[in-house]
Amino acid sequence: MFRHPWAPYAFIAPAFIGLFVFRFIPIGLSGFGSFFSENLRGDMVFVGLKNYAELMDDPSFWNTMRVTLIFNLIINPFQICCALALAMLVRRPSKFIDVFRLGFIMPMTVSIALTSIIWSILLDPTLGPVNGLLRWGGFQSQPFFRSEHQALETLILVATWKGAGYWMIFLLSGLLAIPREIDDSALIDGATGIRKFISITLPLMKRPLAFVLVADTAANFLLFAPVYIITNGGPNGATQLLMFEAYQAAFAYINHGRSMAISTIILGVVLLIAMFELRLFIPAEEEQS
Amino acid sequence: MSNRLSEGLRYTLLVIIAVILLTPIYWLVMSSLRPADHIFRFSGNFSIETLIPFAFTLDNYSQALQSNVGRALFNSLFVSLTTVICGVFVNSLAGFAFAVFDFRFKKLLFVLILLSFMMPFESIVIPLYTLMRTIGWTDTYAALIMPEVAGGLIIFLFYQFFRGIPREIYEAARMDGANWWQIYYKMTMPLSGPTIATASLMIFIHQWDAFFWPLVATSSERLAVIQVAIARNMTMEQANWGAFFASASLAVLVAMVPFFWLQRHYVKIVITNADR
Repeated sequence: MFRHPWAPYAFIAPAFIGLFVFRFIPIGLSGFGSFFSENLRGDMVFVGLKNYAELMDDPSFWNTMRVTLIFNLIINPFQICCALALAMLVRRPSKFIDVFRLGFIMPMTVSIALTSIIWSILLDPTLGPVNGLLRWGGFQSQPFFRSEHQALETLILVATWKGAGYWMIFLLSGLLAIPREIDDSALIDGATGIRKFISITLPLMKRPLAFVLVADTAANFLLFAPVYIITNGGPNGATQLLMFEAYQAAFAYINHGRSMAISTIILGVVLLIAMFELRLFIPAEEEQS
Repeated sequence: MSNRLSEGLRYTLLVIIAVILLTPIYWLVMSSLRPADHIFRFSGNFSIETLIPFAFTLDNYSQALQSNVGRALFNSLFVSLTTVICGVFVNSLAGFAFAVFDFRFKKLLFVLILLSFMMPFESIVIPLYTLMRTIGWTDTYAALIMPEVAGGLIIFLFYQFFRGIPREIYEAARMDGANWWQIYYKMTMPLSGPTIATASLMIFIHQWDAFFWPLVATSSERLAVIQVAIARNMTMEQANWGAFFASASLAVLVAMVPFFWLQRHYVKIVITNADR
């Protein structure tokens, strides 16, 4: 390592100015703004914890929290199982495996906004090809996003369609890092199939799995575009996720204090998730240096 | 025998999953090539024509490009490429400092960087909008570009790579009287081709994908990026379906270009980073 009186600070300055202005100031603004409310004349007045108290008293906010929680409890394990299954399937090099690897990450090229629009058309009750296929196969057509009882599940499937390949990349890298000898010695010991997977592969995948779990949770916790584009939180609040609630408070109801309070809650949760993630990274750093 | 059976099963699963993941993209592109009145004619009742269009046209594309979509594609490309150039420069500088120097508060600053990349950008969108309104940046290109330039993930990526460069070559360069800026742009950066490519791809895809922030930060038609323009065209009454499928296909195809181009780099480097 080198020392220099000012060069390191000059090198990091542009990035840190950027991070400070566009990350840390907004975080501060959010916490600060959540203690203020706009009065009838449009002035900001200090109201203490009133915005939070109002949220706590608001049944629709509790519905949002409930939906967000259920959504995350289902989608994160589900997405990771799918991603792990994909990674296991394309792990061993064989014919055409590069084609499948590339094919599985192709949904990444469809932006989250386009994913939402395309799937809302595909799943349309009358015009959608998916229901066309169901009817052709002799099944009943399904309402998908139009039904209170199917909308959240459908949202989870659509988000997984886009996300599974992305998280597969990280898990595949973990699998490929497992030394060959471990696999071979397992075979000699007679461990095959599911037993080998549970007793040998999974323990070695602890770190990549933990990383993906935390990063995936942070991403899904902030899901916005499909709710905004397809369901608008409906039917009957079934897909009212927290990020959409924050958006509505800020831009539909123009309730500044409320939107800042929700943002602060979101930031608090995300920060908590980030702390977990950090714990996964720091030991690795120390081992190496 | 059982080996061949399990290989057969594996390939069957691979093909089924590939079909599920790729059919929507295939259907999107095929629909964009159908005459406007054919797009939904075969979708509700399944037949071979649902999958393979019998009548082809490029009308949808010429219509899309004549509408606001042409401008929106330009906006997206401009915003994404500018962010790539600025982002590679700013973040590689910071990564260089962390990899090469020892300085006060280094540990603390590094933790801040890690923390910033673990907090997804979406989490600060609403307070960031308040900030932009205060400094009068709403509805500008700067609002779309500047917040995305400095990024913890990209700094980390460069840091990882720069750390692997042996310090002897820096010592030799210092002996020859080179200053640190010259070392950075004459020695380190030219060695970093694959890392620069990966960083560029990651920044580009992230910006090309962006929806929530551009939706909030820009309200005028003039500055709409492609994702926002398509979504707005959809919510207007009587959406032009032909133009929608054409513009969505264009948006996906542009995003595919760097993927096919840099796929090997990307997967390889993400892979070496992920298991740290």
